Amino acid sequence: MEKFSTEYFRKLASDLKFELSDEEIEALKKDFEAVEAQVELFSQVDTEGVEPMIWPFETPTVFLREDVECETLNQKDALANAGDIRMGHVHVPKVVK
Amino acid sequence: MAFEQTISVQESLRRIHELQPELNAAVTIVDDAPEAGIPVILKDNISTKGIRTTASSRILDNYVPVYDATIVTKLKHAGFTPVVKASMDELGMGGTNRNAATGPVHNAWDQDRIAGGSSGGSAVLTARAAAPLAIGTDTGDSVRKPASYNGVVGVKPTYGRISRYGIIPYASSLDHVGYFTTSVKDAAAALEILAGRDDHDMTSSLEPVGEYEACLNPNLAGKKIAVFDTVADALRDEAIAAAFQKLVSDLESAGADVTHVTMPEQLMDLIAPVYKTIANSEAAANHSNLDGIRFGVRKPGESVEDVMTASRTAGFSSYVRARFVIGSYSLFEENQDRLFRKAQKIRRLICEAYASLFRNVDAVICPAAPTVAPLLAESSDVRFGQDEFVEEHMQLANFSGYPSMVIPLGKKDGLPFAVEIAAKPFEEQTMFDVAAGMEALLKEGRHE
Repeated sequence: MEKFSTEYFRKLASDLKFELSDEEIEALKKDFEAVEAQVELFSQVDTEGVEPMIWPFETPTVFLREDVECETLNQKDALANAGDIRMGHVHVPKVVK
Repeated sequence: MAFEQTISVQESLRRIHELQPELNAAVTIVDDAPEAGIPVILKDNISTKGIRTTASSRILDNYVPVYDATIVTKLKHAGFTPVVKASMDELGMGGTNRNAATGPVHNAWDQDRIAGGSSGGSAVLTARAAAPLAIGTDTGDSVRKPASYNGVVGVKPTYGRISRYGIIPYASSLDHVGYFTTSVKDAAAALEILAGRDDHDMTSSLEPVGEYEACLNPNLAGKKIAVFDTVADALRDEAIAAAFQKLVSDLESAGADVTHVTMPEQLMDLIAPVYKTIANSEAAANHSNLDGIRFGVRKPGESVEDVMTASRTAGFSSYVRARFVIGSYSLFEENQDRLFRKAQKIRRLICEAYASLFRNVDAVICPAAPTVAPLLAESSDVRFGQDEFVEEHMQLANFSGYPSMVIPLGKKDGLPFAVEIAAKPFEEQTMFDVAAGMEALLKEGRHE
């Protein structure tokens, strides 16, 4: 199977929980030529001993707080945007059949 | 604290309605906004309690937040009234504002041209004086590029300077709240309102907030200003290049200590691919919660998985789904080291080089966008691939978190272009001071 086959993209899309049309997959095949070219470009850069930069600054801004209840959403607000609510819960199709 | 430019809420609403057929900049106009206050425009990825917030995506077409973003609370306390939720590229992913659920936004000064994105709606409405302040977000120049294309002031402060709590995210390590005004003085005043630590946003900074407006000092004498030659020399538009050179010469005449700095082009060429690798990967992860189950538009299906798949297929544009595929690919275990992690390492190398430009200088300046706004018919958003660094150089401030802003520099055939001013982290006061000095010089030059 070629590396970036139509089936490969269908599987990728399925994992991401959406579908792609045949035209969209053909466009992605072209995109992935660029992705692979990028890998080649990246590989030319010597990053030996360089730490990945995950955030712009290293200064700590995250602190553990006391484990006490602070702001909460009430049930009405928490459910206000759900498409299907029954008996105070978000309703979805049956999971266990 | 007072804004130089302002209008009433009623007049603001009237203008927004009047401009809608021409600009298509509004997603939701807040017709029942309280009459008191200074009108403020909000990009549609900013949560507003009781006001629909779609991020210009079909999947959020029916989403009405049950809480305000921290900046909305701050703005209300400061006397502002939200009047419109402005169009944007879907979920912030784009640089043209063509890819919005409600259709393209048009440039403020030429309907056939792009607004720029992703904060295009906010930019064009500010340019057409619908309100004195508009909020946007800037992940990869999404405030500063549209500000350049529409002739307004656009500010992206230091990473963490403004809380992002209640902002629908795009790429968390690059996302900043930014804003548009029509003067540097108003820009300084706005940051005082918006900035500050917020415990709801664990990336927000504890650095004290300055009195930016009161301390504004436009005196350029002795200011150490570096010209970013790598960008300036790559410019091909002769009108923009000439205007920029004239500005540099005027800065010297005003007593500024002007020097020149460069960055290796090999690193500059990596800006676009590194940005796209990191941004697409973080976006794919951030938007996994958009599935139509707890909020958003839900499509029917036989199982929970079917509901999610149907909702996400119908809810995201083709362009956004493609970017999620590319982003997710970079995160696969077998690809992480050569793509995502590698991009994060190169990001560090780029930022180290960028930081060296600021050694011994107050600010680094260069032309903002390399052209005036492109024609709608000729523009597109590149999904993956290598753009020229002269187009993407303002992403350096997103990688590094350094504050950066643009102010209008001139016009070519009636279309605006801008200059970028960047400073060291949390030195927004210096950035505003240099910008105010330049603004005064440019006004003198235009004999206004």
